[in-house]
Amino acid sequence: MQRFFLRRFLLMIPTLLGVAVLVFFLLRVAPGDIVELKYAGVGAFVSQEALDMERAQLGLDKPLWKQLIDWIWGIVRLDFGTSMWTGRPITYEIAIRLQLSLQLAIMATIVAVLLSIPLGTIAALRQDTWVDYVVRVFSIAGLAMPSFWLAILIILGFLIFFRWLPPMFFTPIWVDPWANLSQLIWPALAVGYRYSAVATRMTRSAVLEVLREDYIRTARAKGLWEKLILGRHALKNAMLPVVTIIGLEFAFLIGGLVVTEQVFNLNGIGMLFVEAVTRRDYTMTQALVLLVSFTFILVNFVMDLVYAWLDPRIRYQ
Amino acid sequence: MKKRGTACQGRSVMLLCAGVLGLVLLAATAARAAETPKAGGTLNFAVGETPPSYDGHRETTFAMLHPLAPHYSTLLRFDPENYPKIEGDVAESWTVSKDGLTYTFKIRKGIKFHDGSLLTATDVKATYDKIVFPPEGVASARKAYYAMVEKVEAPDASTVVFRLKRPSASLLAQLASPWNFIYKADILAKDLRWYEKNVMGSGPFTFVEYVPGSHWDGKKNPDYFRKGRPYLDGYRAIFIRDTAPRVAAIRAGQALIEFRGFNPVVRDDLVRALGDKIRVQESSWICNMTVAINNEKKPFDDVRVRKALTLAIDRWEGSKALSQISIMKPVGGLMRPGSEFAAPEAELAKLAGFGKDAETSRRETKRLLKEAGVPEGFAFTLKNRNIKEPYEAVGVFVIDQWRQVGLNVTHQPQEGGPYFADLRAGNYETSIDFACDFMDEPDYQLIKFVSSDKSPINYARYVDPVVDDLYEKQGRATDPKERLKLIRQLEKRILDEQVYQFHVLWWQRIVPHWARVKGWKITPSHYLNQDLRDVWLAPE
Repeated sequence: MQRFFLRRFLLMIPTLLGVAVLVFFLLRVAPGDIVELKYAGVGAFVSQEALDMERAQLGLDKPLWKQLIDWIWGIVRLDFGTSMWTGRPITYEIAIRLQLSLQLAIMATIVAVLLSIPLGTIAALRQDTWVDYVVRVFSIAGLAMPSFWLAILIILGFLIFFRWLPPMFFTPIWVDPWANLSQLIWPALAVGYRYSAVATRMTRSAVLEVLREDYIRTARAKGLWEKLILGRHALKNAMLPVVTIIGLEFAFLIGGLVVTEQVFNLNGIGMLFVEAVTRRDYTMTQALVLLVSFTFILVNFVMDLVYAWLDPRIRYQ
Repeated sequence: MKKRGTACQGRSVMLLCAGVLGLVLLAATAARAAETPKAGGTLNFAVGETPPSYDGHRETTFAMLHPLAPHYSTLLRFDPENYPKIEGDVAESWTVSKDGLTYTFKIRKGIKFHDGSLLTATDVKATYDKIVFPPEGVASARKAYYAMVEKVEAPDASTVVFRLKRPSASLLAQLASPWNFIYKADILAKDLRWYEKNVMGSGPFTFVEYVPGSHWDGKKNPDYFRKGRPYLDGYRAIFIRDTAPRVAAIRAGQALIEFRGFNPVVRDDLVRALGDKIRVQESSWICNMTVAINNEKKPFDDVRVRKALTLAIDRWEGSKALSQISIMKPVGGLMRPGSEFAAPEAELAKLAGFGKDAETSRRETKRLLKEAGVPEGFAFTLKNRNIKEPYEAVGVFVIDQWRQVGLNVTHQPQEGGPYFADLRAGNYETSIDFACDFMDEPDYQLIKFVSSDKSPINYARYVDPVVDDLYEKQGRATDPKERLKLIRQLEKRILDEQVYQFHVLWWQRIVPHWARVKGWKITPSHYLNQDLRDVWLAPE
């Protein structure tokens, strides 16, 4: 078992290296560079000499292979360099946004889990009754509505009916929990609803499938309590696909909430990602791609651990 | 014969008059009291981008200027109440030698940096040495504009002297640049790049904190050299990148103003929603949209084709239509309409494409195209930046105008990276381009039209020594009349005789803000009047 996890862990290294090299070259194939965008983008005259000086300061005048080696060597030493746009350390820039994105992802996951597992289970237990239909309508509506659209409705609702908006700047939860929650609870609900819709449908079908298994019939035949059958045997086994969905969605939330972040003006990783790409901030984009890749790999790794806990057969394979 | 008298004669009439007069005086006093600046409060304003570095000498974006300008002083500044009048900021007075080669500035005494140290002529000299003569490895975005400066001297603590190689018509205005923050000489002596990541100025507000991507805070500088200023206790610049949440923030009162401005649709929405709580200030803007023509590509290398393209555009009607939905409005030549350098309307109307008889212009367009051998339905591409406002709006308008004379034009909006790469490489036939400056100054607005091998922002790929010569001459002309004459010649050559590229319309700056925000006056540039020293908040 330990060898299994060690192997999975070591596999992360070539995967991340491959991602690093790929993103390095893909970014440089895209036309335009940061200096052009920074100066030509405001429509003012800047001399060629000043433009060349900027490129030299950012290391863009060095040969491509040298830039790549410098960057990879930096990663090996856990030094991701500085943002080409702001000149500040990338780890500092990301850390500020990561606290918001991480908190939002956790809050949205809590909303999703609190909604999806009870609703999905009830719908499965009351299959083809009005309860099931209501849950299905609720979850289909969640799937059909993009979270940013729901976010816009929330914003407009507050604005039109209460002339109020959630705060437009981030306050860490340890500084002012009320200000923090009054900003993040609304996007967490908007995102968590869509997220819960996917998980509710998955929970319902997984529970339905498990309830038809022989071991459930056997447990019932033995006269076990229905609650015990459901809690210990049915739900635990039905959770495998649900955990997969929750894990992948969580990883997606770290960097994929671009439009929702724009609607609520959240200073998160998604917004930073878009800014870095549109500004051709190579160092920042590279670091963010690595971060998101690492998050997915890590979440997959954690999911493997959860699988092994939920299903002993995986441990013994 | 009846005697003529005043309206207030007779006892009862006099009493009535006195009453009315009293009421008028009372109202005037109340109005004056309402407009008497009140100290206190924090101004929250929105900024549509985040600042790159903190160094004004290096950066060119409003996103740096709006949060940082309140921390700094400059040598001179534009008086926002009387733009384009120049007034001293740290300079108390100045003189110019008769030959126009020596500018001497007296620096106010007692100005303090935020760390308590005194600001002297040495700091001004060190600042301008960094801007005009940056050493290897230090970026200065505006160095090229100070090519006429030979050296900067500080003979004593309160005198700064600029010695020039040649007379300059624009030096004083350039020394009022809002970007030229006065830095501390001691700090620059140790590290010329210190200001890229740190703040130490002598402006009305001191630095509190910056949370990257979120907000920037400043608080009142109690030692500011202008007594009684600033009025505000502090300010917070909130970075809101997308337009919709920015508008929502204004509407909800989370931000009281966005200094760059909005389009007329947003203005009307805000006025409808907030009524008299909102005040709108408008001005023409020193920004414009240009059609860049690739002069190297056929058939655009033919002046008749280029002239036909500008003649086909009815700018006057376009202004009426576009100003309903976008920030495009004033019709003008190479200099901003309304500025001292702008062509009078009668003179402007004589230039190709600026006449008011659209039908005659279109007939002439068709004749020129036929003469140049361009067939009916000739197809080409107009590249554009994929920004709705105002790029795409103006692109759609121009294409519609060209279609009316039988041209078949494809609109190709692009993301910023490929857009600028194509412009720079000449990989386009026609393209929407733009320019934006902080002041009305021919040296700035005309450099876009100087030959491509000299001006990196001229993407139209032509070389014209006549244009270059006229540009040089106007920049050295110290006689305003002579300068204006040269500008008109240059304008005629570019817009009428050769039509290398042309402006479509100028921008209109529209700033709807909460009426509580007082003491701020709009100028034709979103780079000016951003130090917030005169801004105050009326009670809610």
